[in-house]
Amino acid sequence: MAIKVKLYSLFRKYIDDRQVELDYEENKTIRDLIKSLDDKYDSVFSQKLIGEDEAINPGAIILVNGQNIHHLDKLDTELKDGDILAIFPPSAGG
Amino acid sequence: MSKIGEAKILRVDLTKGETKEETLAPEMVKKYLGGRGLASKLLADEIDPGIDALSPENRLIFANGLLTGTNASTGGRYMVVTKGPLTGTIASSNSGGYFGAELRFAGYDMIVFQGKSEKPVYLQLMDGKAELKDASHVWGKKVDETTDILVEESGDERAKVSCIGPAGENQVLFASIMNDKNRAAGRTGVGAVMGSKNLKALVVRGDKSNFDYDKESLMKVVKKQTQILKDDGVTGEGLPTYGTKVLDNIINETGGYPTRNFQEATFEGTEEISGEALVEKGYLQKKKACYACPIACGRDTKLPSGRSGEGPEYETGWSFGAACGVNDLNAITEANYMCNELGLDTISAGATIAAAMELYEKGHIDREKLNNGPELKFGSSEAIVYYTKAMAYREGIGDDLALGSARLGEKYGMPGVSMAVKKQELPAYDPRALQGMALNYATSNRGGCHVRGYLVSPEVLGVPEKLDPQDLDSKPEWAKTYQDLTALIDSIGVCLFTSFALNADDYCELVNAVTDYDLSTDEFMEIGDRIYTLERQFNLEAGLTKADDTLPKRLLEEGIPDGPMKGKVAHLDKMLPKYYELRGWDENGVPTADTLNKLGLEVL
Ligand code: SF4
Repeated sequence: MAIKVKLYSLFRKYIDDRQVELDYEENKTIRDLIKSLDDKYDSVFSQKLIGEDEAINPGAIILVNGQNIHHLDKLDTELKDGDILAIFPPSAGG
Repeated sequence: MSKIGEAKILRVDLTKGETKEETLAPEMVKKYLGGRGLASKLLADEIDPGIDALSPENRLIFANGLLTGTNASTGGRYMVVTKGPLTGTIASSNSGGYFGAELRFAGYDMIVFQGKSEKPVYLQLMDGKAELKDASHVWGKKVDETTDILVEESGDERAKVSCIGPAGENQVLFASIMNDKNRAAGRTGVGAVMGSKNLKALVVRGDKSNFDYDKESLMKVVKKQTQILKDDGVTGEGLPTYGTKVLDNIINETGGYPTRNFQEATFEGTEEISGEALVEKGYLQKKKACYACPIACGRDTKLPSGRSGEGPEYETGWSFGAACGVNDLNAITEANYMCNELGLDTISAGATIAAAMELYEKGHIDREKLNNGPELKFGSSEAIVYYTKAMAYREGIGDDLALGSARLGEKYGMPGVSMAVKKQELPAYDPRALQGMALNYATSNRGGCHVRGYLVSPEVLGVPEKLDPQDLDSKPEWAKTYQDLTALIDSIGVCLFTSFALNADDYCELVNAVTDYDLSTDEFMEIGDRIYTLERQFNLEAGLTKADDTLPKRLLEEGIPDGPMKGKVAHLDKMLPKYYELRGWDENGVPTADTLNKLGLEVL
């Protein structure tokens, strides 16, 4: 299945790209996806998105089709073909 | 000599041209702390809330927070408090930079202006001497020019200036007061009140050694808190790197980014104008900090034309950007620079142009009315720049724009076009996507506003914990807590942005470090409740009612047409009764006698 991940904020500084497209077999979760981004690039993804207790880092935002995974299945949210993710490290407000 | 806990006031009677010193009772300081709280109390005591905001009877109060000028992180904030001409409510507007701290070093906690000067004047406060001086030569001048001229006249290049631009002189109802050239006490039209008094500027220079407080005790707390701010992802990395505009993509992706005057909630041009774009396009020169701030969220920018200045921040990038359907970062930044120079609130300026664009596109404003100006079409870069200037100078239709979107909509036969609460334009979060913000907007004591309780933090950013933005049950309590805490932050003189990392215990600890108050966190929070309820009383006395605690009909009745929040409306009716109850207000939103008693407030 094809998954698109939009990168924002500090992730762009680390990766130097606006988005990455990934191809997976079925039954993958957000947690798996973050691990594979770590492998592909740099462990900055889990560092910024996952806290010490293996939960979503406070302030980090992971959206699947605009829905925050906090209100889905958190890091265990399953991915579907065509999902568009947007990920933000803990950033800020205004 | 200025001492924490002994509020020293300089009262300036502009009608008589006289100044005198006063000191407030220490019990009153303990009850309201400083800044927004103490100045609101003074305003409520001194004026009839029913007066015309632009009449000489109104007061214009510049007030330092309890900790302004200390070494507390971000401890350089001051407030301007008055009755607001845009909303008819109590108005208070906060600003950073270096002016507030300098005022402290000059020996004052507050300056209270009353009456009206016959001719333009400015107040010079140098080396302990207060003097009203002729300002005819700077009347009509922009903020940056005025600042340079008055600093030079003072003979001390370290003097700090707070002033109005042409928009304030022309009493544009959302004119700002600008200090250190680019920092704004932006909202609620405080600049128009200053203009109505023929007061152009304050020029201040003090001596730090005149300011006495327990530095050692405070430093212990500050050291710990500075570390917290540095370690936090938001205040330590996100804000310093991208400023507030890191939010553009976040709010857009979550489907709450008001577009084309709140007709949609996602903007296709966000990528072009976002905080990331500001960096990628090379506009960002360097980050900038206010007094004693380890965060440095300010943005020094430069356009390809060579013109430079500060901004845009998130709100401004939105008001001239998505709200007007404009995806041209160059024009947005230019409009921002102009607002700083002319002294306009960027949110209301952009949002009023957005309302005018809808009026024009729907046929309520004729082409002739625009004279030779560009068409008021969504997406027009030319229009945002042109009409920003027109409203500051009140030229052509700019004269109507200068009254804000609510009065504009009424005049042109479509009141529903105004996306405002209590006649002040809403900022950059669609309340249909964020129910807590819906409640906050509706109950903000100064009209449509995001800094009276920033529930975006839990509803979107997940700080301090993630709330479901569509949940209704939990929001009244969160709204009250955030509103009370913000009132406290505004009263102690630190920056609201610290609250991404610090909590009520931390702020209370700061206050206890420099006073003998020995407050518990509950007692501290009660002061916030007192301030909020006092402001509410002022507004009720001014003639506002429960009916004003509402949102534009569009946001209550028309579902969001696009994006992840499609179909959502704001459910105020399901939150408001519980909110009143939590506040100890009756079903009409009036504080009960018991509540007033508990908070130590009088029946007005
Ligand atoms: S965080 Fe930004 S606005 Fe607040 S004090 Fe620091 S530089 Fe100023």
